[in-house]
Amino acid sequence: MAKDEMSKMFELFDNLRADKYPLVEYDSIGKRGVRRIDGYEKATGAAKYTVDLQLPGMLYARFLTSPYPHAEIKSMDTSKAEAVPGVRAILRYDDPELPTEADLGGHEVSSVPVMPKVAHFQGEEVGAAVAADSEEIAEQALKLIDVEWEERPFVLDPEEALQPDAPLANPESHPSGNLYYEAVEEHGDVGKGFAEADKVIEFKFRQGLNTWVGPERPCGVFRWNGDCPEVWVKQQRPHICKRVIASWFGGIPMNKIQIHCLYQGASFGGWSQMPWNMGGHYCAAVIAKRTGRPVKWVFNRREDFYGGEMDEGVYYFKVGAKRDGVISAVKGRAVFTNQLLPFFGFVRHFHENTKIPNVYGKTEVAEVNKGLTVPTRCEQNSNCHSLTLVFNRVADALGLDPVEVALKNDGTEGHDMAWLNIKKAEMGFQVRDSLKECIEKGKAAIGWDEKWHAPGTKKLSNGKLHGLGFAWTHEWEDSAGSSEMAIRIERNDGTATIMGCRADVGVNAETAYCQVAADELGMRIEDVHYRPQIDAGFFTMTPDSSTNMSVNGFAIRNAARLLKRKILEAATSPRAATQLGSAPAAFPGKKPEELDIKDSVIYEKVNPSNRKTLAEFVGYAGAMGPIGSLSGEPTPTSQSTRYPFTWPLFEHGWQVQVGAYSGIRLRLCRQAHFMEVEVDEETGEVEVKKVVTVNDVGRVINWEGCEGQQYGGACMGVGRGRSEEVIHDPVTGVMLNGNLLNYKIPTMLDIGRIDTILVETGMGYGPYGVVGIGEDVATVIPALIGPAVHNAIGKWVDDFPITPDKVLKALGESVE
Amino acid sequence: MSDKVPISEDEISFVVNGDLYKVRVQSNWTLQYLLHDKLGLTGTKEFCNEGACGACAVIMDSRPVLSCLTLAIECDGKTIETIEGIARVNHPLIEAYVKHSCMQCGYCTPGFIVTAKALLDKNPSPTEEEIKEALVGNLCRCGTYPQHIKAVLEAAST
Repeated sequence: MAKDEMSKMFELFDNLRADKYPLVEYDSIGKRGVRRIDGYEKATGAAKYTVDLQLPGMLYARFLTSPYPHAEIKSMDTSKAEAVPGVRAILRYDDPELPTEADLGGHEVSSVPVMPKVAHFQGEEVGAAVAADSEEIAEQALKLIDVEWEERPFVLDPEEALQPDAPLANPESHPSGNLYYEAVEEHGDVGKGFAEADKVIEFKFRQGLNTWVGPERPCGVFRWNGDCPEVWVKQQRPHICKRVIASWFGGIPMNKIQIHCLYQGASFGGWSQMPWNMGGHYCAAVIAKRTGRPVKWVFNRREDFYGGEMDEGVYYFKVGAKRDGVISAVKGRAVFTNQLLPFFGFVRHFHENTKIPNVYGKTEVAEVNKGLTVPTRCEQNSNCHSLTLVFNRVADALGLDPVEVALKNDGTEGHDMAWLNIKKAEMGFQVRDSLKECIEKGKAAIGWDEKWHAPGTKKLSNGKLHGLGFAWTHEWEDSAGSSEMAIRIERNDGTATIMGCRADVGVNAETAYCQVAADELGMRIEDVHYRPQIDAGFFTMTPDSSTNMSVNGFAIRNAARLLKRKILEAATSPRAATQLGSAPAAFPGKKPEELDIKDSVIYEKVNPSNRKTLAEFVGYAGAMGPIGSLSGEPTPTSQSTRYPFTWPLFEHGWQVQVGAYSGIRLRLCRQAHFMEVEVDEETGEVEVKKVVTVNDVGRVINWEGCEGQQYGGACMGVGRGRSEEVIHDPVTGVMLNGNLLNYKIPTMLDIGRIDTILVETGMGYGPYGVVGIGEDVATVIPALIGPAVHNAIGKWVDDFPITPDKVLKALGESVE
Repeated sequence: MSDKVPISEDEISFVVNGDLYKVRVQSNWTLQYLLHDKLGLTGTKEFCNEGACGACAVIMDSRPVLSCLTLAIECDGKTIETIEGIARVNHPLIEAYVKHSCMQCGYCTPGFIVTAKALLDKNPSPTEEEIKEALVGNLCRCGTYPQHIKAVLEAAST
């Protein structure tokens, strides 16, 4: 306790350098086989999700959706629907209880129509909600609502939307045109860079719309307990939900709102970021008030498909490079579709982790009549696709190994590795070459040196064309985040409970928090538990932007360090100090710094036999004390039989930091991925035989959690790259494949072997040197299928996902 | 509305996880709805709701079936095992799934275990390929697939 833990906590806010105060010894941190705390609950089917919830008297609400991609409700007759037995309420767009707009969630505060009467995409929730005794009755009643629609012209393609004669996709929001965001990111002078280049290439690619497919449908439950809302959210950000609800109905005090955030059938950011994601709750709140009953609102499976990842668009590139593979200029223009948060651009990774001196990227975002696109594992997709395809195109044009081209251009913000290495040392990190380490391990695992060949030159004995691909970028943890978490030592048995309301999206962060708390407190991992669904009012960092450990890891560590100090102070102080006297200290005559805790036992450092388990030290609780207690708490009459009542042992820690988005921290850790494919020339089918995914996570806290993100990211990435696209009919604007039969997410047989490799350079800014991993792999892998297929067939397929028809088309062109 | 389907109601009796139930069911109820919404066996999940994902799998008379495509009214006299029943007897798959961290969000996990249980009942020592074939109808959006194979192999050897 030499230095005050509180001042250390403040010192590490904004984590702008290597962790100054790591642990000396680790027990559960970084150990394989730490049992996940939710594993048994989830395996046995006992885990409850919001969609599972039923409350006495609960009504089910369903929404009217638009059959047209762009239409306005002119009039609506709900009388037939109201007459259906079991229908208890119908909420209409023109009901006086509904405000025109309210803050309905999303990523940040945004005011949007609660019950719009204009639909801007087919399938949008508009006009009415029906609440009934069952979902089925509500559904039946919806069909009986007569709506007079005024259809409007629509546009689906972002480049068509930018044509001067294009219909306005959303005149309510953007009356002057469909281009609603335009921005340029640049450094250096691309003109100079092209002049210096030995080779200049130009290419275009298109990325189709893919979406999250959350296994649990969007839903929620709203109940009024008097004037206090009790709300169950399927949402990634429970405290933002709470803040939103507090703004409704003229304002509700935060302390009257209780949020439940049960297990989440994940949506990978996705649904949680839609500006209307709390719209269902608002309508449910109004209906619940009107009927006096709890209301569950639900989407059906198809309704979960509207909207998607924000990489949908068309990308144009011009790239200049020297003969040796050093890139001198990258210039790009991209037109994106319906981005909610358009400021992430698509050339930022060239800035953040290359030495390329001249970079220019112009982002244009067009409104079209489809659902919004939002960060869906994640906002870095456009950047990753661009980096992957530019690097592989350059390598191909120069006849070089793409791995070598990556290593030649690694750096940051236009500076080379020598410059970056100086910065690493200045910030207190070990100077390691993360990309090189990732590449060496990955190359060995995929057999790169033995298998790499010129594009289109290797036919296997099974008649298929063989291809290898490589992609890289930095490893990230991006959100600005503040986080509060707390730990309480339980009375009676001395176990530790972590508190903080947070959405469990499955990444096993909760076990990792327990590992941090256990090692910091000196407790056995099995004595620490985290129930993230407790709404203790703490604003715990959400599972966004791969930021779990870098923010919450600090918060929980801070809480644990403060609590450990408190435990040791309590252990050396008199107990049950009241006006009737006190009991001696558990460790009389000792100072806190003479004690330590290990394996949930407090012991004297110089005399380990002087020990007490935490359970023995904390002792029994007694709300009324034992029979005969005069004071209520355990204070029997004689000193000798006095219960050793200890102080309440609770501490609260927090972390505040600026996000890496704003360029506040240099990117030090890298990731590299390798893919082996076989392409059938007859069918165009691409078989992904093997993926090697290598991530420098700085330091591993929870092995199975990190590997889970690698496996999962590889699966999702292959799906996105190979088969997933939401298709709209160009004639009617209707979504055609909003179901799991026709929107193809990968099955167990759609991806071959996945090898996971974790590299630990310690160069993360988080506690103990960690950096995030949650989004990375799923975001880098989709475009990797492009170079892998190119290596197989010798032609570029520039339209993602790379489905068999596109491969056949490319092969056909090669024949011509 | 002309598309309104007449709904009848009937009593069925069936055994779920060893317990006999006599319940009145409507002709349009699926087995998934009956188990999940009416009997409180919420481990039988609805994901795709059209037979594409396996999240609602249960074992009926020793065969894995998709409860979202099975009408409750057809289940009269049947014997059904759900994830809750598999958990109740502490089948080795449960521990193997926890040990190999086969779940992320966990929503699809029960469906996988039910399908794997049906496989092991029929084939106590499956190969890796047989496991993949058995589980190919179960979708996991979190992408936990490689871990399932390890867990099923381990449970088979227990």
